[in-house]
Amino acid sequence: MSTHARSRATDTPATPPHPAPLDVAGALLALLRDTSTEPRPDIQLEALTLAVAADLPVLLWGEPGIGKTAALTQLAASLDLPLTTVIASVHEPSDFSGLPVVGDDPAEQGVPMAPPDWAVRLVRAGRGLLFLDELSTAPPAVQAALLRLVLERRVGALRLPPGVRIVAAANPRASAADGWELSPPLANRFVHLQWTHDHEVVVRGLGGTWPRATLPRLDPERLPGAVDLARRAVCGLLTARPGLVHRLPSNETRRGGPWPSPRSWEMTLCLIAFATAAGSSREVMSLLVRGTVGDGPGLELLAGLDRIDLPDPEVLLADPQSAALPERGDLRQAVLDGVVEAVRKRPERTRWEAAWALLVRAVETGAPDLVVVPANTLASLRHEDWDVPASIDKLAGAVSLSRRADRAAARTAVAAPAGR
Amino acid sequence: MNADTSGAPDVAGTPDIAGTPDVAGPPDTPAVPDTPEAPHAPRAPDAAGALDRDKLFAARLHAARVRPYLATALFALHAVESRRVPTMAVDRYWRCYVSPRFVDRTSVEELAGVWVHEVSHLLRDHHGRSDRVAREQGLTGPAERLRMNIAADCEINDDVFGEGLHRPEGAVMPETLALPEGELMEDYLRQFRLGPRTQSLAWLDCGSGADGLDREWELGPDGAYGLSDQERDAVRFRVAQGITARPGNAPGGWRRWAREAFQPPQPWRDLLGAAVRSAASGSGAGEDYTYGRPSRRSAGVPRAVLPSLRRRPPRVAVVIDTSGSVGDDELGSALREVAAISRAVGGRRDLITVLPCDASARIVHPLCRAEGIPLVGGGGTDLRTGFARALRRGPRPDVIVVLTDGQTPWPSERPPCRTVVGLFPRQSSSSSWDEDDPDYVPDSPPVWARVVVIESTPATR
Repeated sequence: MSTHARSRATDTPATPPHPAPLDVAGALLALLRDTSTEPRPDIQLEALTLAVAADLPVLLWGEPGIGKTAALTQLAASLDLPLTTVIASVHEPSDFSGLPVVGDDPAEQGVPMAPPDWAVRLVRAGRGLLFLDELSTAPPAVQAALLRLVLERRVGALRLPPGVRIVAAANPRASAADGWELSPPLANRFVHLQWTHDHEVVVRGLGGTWPRATLPRLDPERLPGAVDLARRAVCGLLTARPGLVHRLPSNETRRGGPWPSPRSWEMTLCLIAFATAAGSSREVMSLLVRGTVGDGPGLELLAGLDRIDLPDPEVLLADPQSAALPERGDLRQAVLDGVVEAVRKRPERTRWEAAWALLVRAVETGAPDLVVVPANTLASLRHEDWDVPASIDKLAGAVSLSRRADRAAARTAVAAPAGR
Repeated sequence: MNADTSGAPDVAGTPDIAGTPDVAGPPDTPAVPDTPEAPHAPRAPDAAGALDRDKLFAARLHAARVRPYLATALFALHAVESRRVPTMAVDRYWRCYVSPRFVDRTSVEELAGVWVHEVSHLLRDHHGRSDRVAREQGLTGPAERLRMNIAADCEINDDVFGEGLHRPEGAVMPETLALPEGELMEDYLRQFRLGPRTQSLAWLDCGSGADGLDREWELGPDGAYGLSDQERDAVRFRVAQGITARPGNAPGGWRRWAREAFQPPQPWRDLLGAAVRSAASGSGAGEDYTYGRPSRRSAGVPRAVLPSLRRRPPRVAVVIDTSGSVGDDELGSALREVAAISRAVGGRRDLITVLPCDASARIVHPLCRAEGIPLVGGGGTDLRTGFARALRRGPRPDVIVVLTDGQTPWPSERPPCRTVVGLFPRQSSSSSWDEDDPDYVPDSPPVWARVVVIESTPATR
């Protein structure tokens, strides 16, 4: 065929040579594939990377065709791990639990369970990223076999080396054809990440520029602090809320999702430490924590983390002049309440005066209404022989503000019977 | 930003310091003596038209006192002075834009109402819900966003005012548009168009926090003092938690919001579908692997023993309790759903049995005739007989799906197959979840059944 084409080309040099049809197609494909990348923060990918780094099994939930596989490819490339993709739905259970091979003398030697080739290669390489795709369309028996692989890292007689990280992907229940659903004990072992597409990224990518996420790097100097913070956050919450330690999902909406148990709290602790050591944003931490213990307990933990970040009342009392109060009103009020509470616990004159100085500072740097309640409480802590500090003049604005609010309340109370 | 408070030691004389704490005591002892001082008098008339921050924050304090469960959210708002807003407006990053002129001409108690109104937009995620509606229904353009703002206002205004909180002048109420009270923004949105009735509302602008449309005068995502996604969730969560912890002092609308804020109701079709699918395809039913017959792959691997895939379509028995006050259309759509799901997992028509548990099975008959489902049995009002009959039949079913309103005795023992209960909430029980009858405890389905609540209203939230 090609020689024939060439001979014709030599016959009539005036007409350009006919290239093979697929060559043109190849040129067009090359043009289409000629895309560039741009750096862009991607909190989903960052969360995935941290969970993989922490060696916890991750389950990506997402509609088909939104780039879960592409994300995994990028992750494997940047972690420098060979990627092994196993499409669960085209395998049989024995591909994961091992095939019985009948030897010469089964009664004597037993029947070995032979592992599939990809497992053998993974073990030989000693490291790699194993991606179990399409969990949701595999028959139940295959899913059961896969879960043993995920939980015990065993394929037949082989045990996957520690350098192998496992990520699975599933379609949400509503879009899964045959009802893949995790039972609560299994759901509890995964970090659940909801994978969604970003409209802007897709449009820009189709236009020729795909994002390139900069992956988090763990900072060796932050490790001890990160562990300390994670332990304080989790223990602080669970001390105050013992009911959160273990709570099975009770309703249908929550089934198959993350829920709190000692195991998932341990995973949470680990993930907080990783996210802190990597200097990740609160958004990333939120994805990870809520994906491990569920929305409610996760949000409580995150709220607790917000409070841990607040300045320590004792530090503020020690040096009120240089105190930095948070900008956000609700956090600022929490800090001021904390300061007053600290004074109440150990009432000493110097501490009391320092607290007034802090309130003055708060009035000078932010909304005055936040100061009213702490000021009232602080005033009630006064001992007979304590003189009021002169700086309290500066709180006059807040006091009149409080009176105005009182008057408004009185007027509303008078008007109410007539109005409603 | 701070000169105003220290620089204007106003009125009532700088209180003598020792007395300060006592005067500004708890809110229930209002300092009435100095009411004669005119409430509307412009105080500290410094630069004309400057924002009267004292008045604004006194209003916030008042709002926080009468709505303690909203205090966190109110204090999390960051006030920004803006001359472009007609009154007050919020953006999705929890900034509150305030017009100085509006503050001047509005009383403290009305301002407090506006504070609560604006923070309600954010707590109830009106911008996110507007975006969702806009996406789903293709409603674009400023006019549609105005409609969303009005609908959101209706959702808020019908229950946030009163009980110490003054309703601001000109607040949009559902009756302004001749609409019923107590519905959600999405419902209101379906029920009115812009027209003569809404003419007077054209100036209304609660900002992108209310309708999701970015305004050019807003500071945007990169401006100062914005709250991140996670911070917004944290604030909403704290408020919801505060309400659920002490439900006594919050009105019904807020309690419902708190229940659903982080656990939105899901469409029952999806849940019922997932429950039936997973019951029908679970191990022991339907498709599974067996070593009973050699696998097709066996020829290639002579020494290995390979299992093969065998398929046995699941048998589904649908037990319908028609004794309750279940609407025909609800029951019909639920039954049709079950039939469709069973077919999707490979069930054949002859493997689906429908057992009505009451004499008034008028709906079941035509439906089953249309669907070609054989109808067996009849009579009886006790669900236990329904279970017994379903299990007594020839080959035992793999799944029993029960559609009921739950007002029935349940079998005391777990049946030998998976059970899915589609529960129609009774009209009376759905409204008596709080004060009507505190002692009322519905007979709940047993723990071995998977329960899906089938709401009659589509859960769009």
